[in-house]
Amino acid sequence: MDYIAEGFKTAIELLISFDPQVYKIIILSVFVSSTATAIAATVSIPLGIFAGISNFRLKRLFSKVLYSMMSVPSVIVGLVVAIGLSRRGPLGFMQLLYTPAAMIIAQALLVFPLCLGLTYSLAKNRGSDIERIGKTLGAGKLQGIVLIIRELKAELFINVVTTFSRAISEVGAVMIVGGNIKGHTRVITTSIAMLNSMGDYPMAIALGLVLLIISFAINAVIYSLQEE
Amino acid sequence: MQITVSNLKKSFGGRTVLDIESLTFESGKITGIIGPNGAGKTTLLNIIAGIDMDFEGEVEYSGEEYSTVKREITMVFQKGGLLKRSVFENISYPLKLRGINKNEIQQTASELMKFLGIEELSGKKAHKISGGETQRVVLARALAIKPKALLLDEPTASIDPEYMETIERCIVDYNRNSKATIIIITHSMDQARRLCDNIVLIERGRVGEADGFF
Repeated sequence: MDYIAEGFKTAIELLISFDPQVYKIIILSVFVSSTATAIAATVSIPLGIFAGISNFRLKRLFSKVLYSMMSVPSVIVGLVVAIGLSRRGPLGFMQLLYTPAAMIIAQALLVFPLCLGLTYSLAKNRGSDIERIGKTLGAGKLQGIVLIIRELKAELFINVVTTFSRAISEVGAVMIVGGNIKGHTRVITTSIAMLNSMGDYPMAIALGLVLLIISFAINAVIYSLQEE
Repeated sequence: MQITVSNLKKSFGGRTVLDIESLTFESGKITGIIGPNGAGKTTLLNIIAGIDMDFEGEVEYSGEEYSTVKREITMVFQKGGLLKRSVFENISYPLKLRGINKNEIQQTASELMKFLGIEELSGKKAHKISGGETQRVVLARALAIKPKALLLDEPTASIDPEYMETIERCIVDYNRNSKATIIIITHSMDQARRLCDNIVLIERGRVGEADGFF
């Protein structure tokens, strides 16, 4: 049991002393996941609202496919992106495999259906009423979408935070396309997996604590917004 | 603006909820729509307002199509309809959509808030005001664009008599000053008699005989 206590002690020391190796991993994790979330949200929010308030053929099928895609395993996304970016793959000429850019692409693709699905569901339930108000006041389709985004900004922010939470906590996709290269593509989750297999618990616990702090902070934001 | 409805049919899941051969709302008049719950009154108003475009038949606005006049028509809903922002911002929203400058927006909003007795609510968040105040703000916002056709779906339902009187006075004043066509759904025969030049009875989606209400 001593090694666990020792692990926590060393972990706190690593965090307090601003250990460069630990902080490099933390910064890369936050950068990759927040960039992927921003890309996914920028595309999925307007698209989700448009789909949610529009009536089109096969809308029910669209809903079913979308909701299924929300829980797609991260290793599958990682595999698909890795095949696409591999040297012999269709995008191999870009030489992105095992770079942070590849990790951003994989995470953006992974969380896109989640952000789209959450936005679509929100717009389907509440967007039509707002669109109706906008329409009676002279708003066109695009102005209607902008109005819905403004009116539902707190709820949409919660969706984005949930999306970020999924991105930063996943390990499969970034491991496959990033390769967990020290100082280059190593992020919190891939580090923890590797350190655990090496038996280096203090470092693994330190990174685990950071991941927990990020998760708690995300939940705190969500709860405070929901209470509002 | 004269609004003419011809051969209008609207169905929900195979059930016909509106079937109107011909109905005209005279220009510059206040027309009341009465009828039992579920008769199709709100559906008719939604179609005229351009909110519901999924119907058979034609709706003409002084001979024009909806797309030509859509910014000259507005509708007040039975409940809520305010945006999550201040009362002033709610009233100024449709004016901003029309690219009207700040000074003019300020002047129009101030005049309307005074007209409806809601000046003191200007900076308040719309979701923190009472039901009666909400309906006055919604009416102020609708009047801000000086509509040629104003559609009102039970604008005084479940509000205090004091607020009801203010809203009714504003509707009549606006009609007299602007000669706008006003259509109002009401369940109150007294209100219909007080406000309306004409009455249309809708029963089971059809236009009924409304004679004898005056």
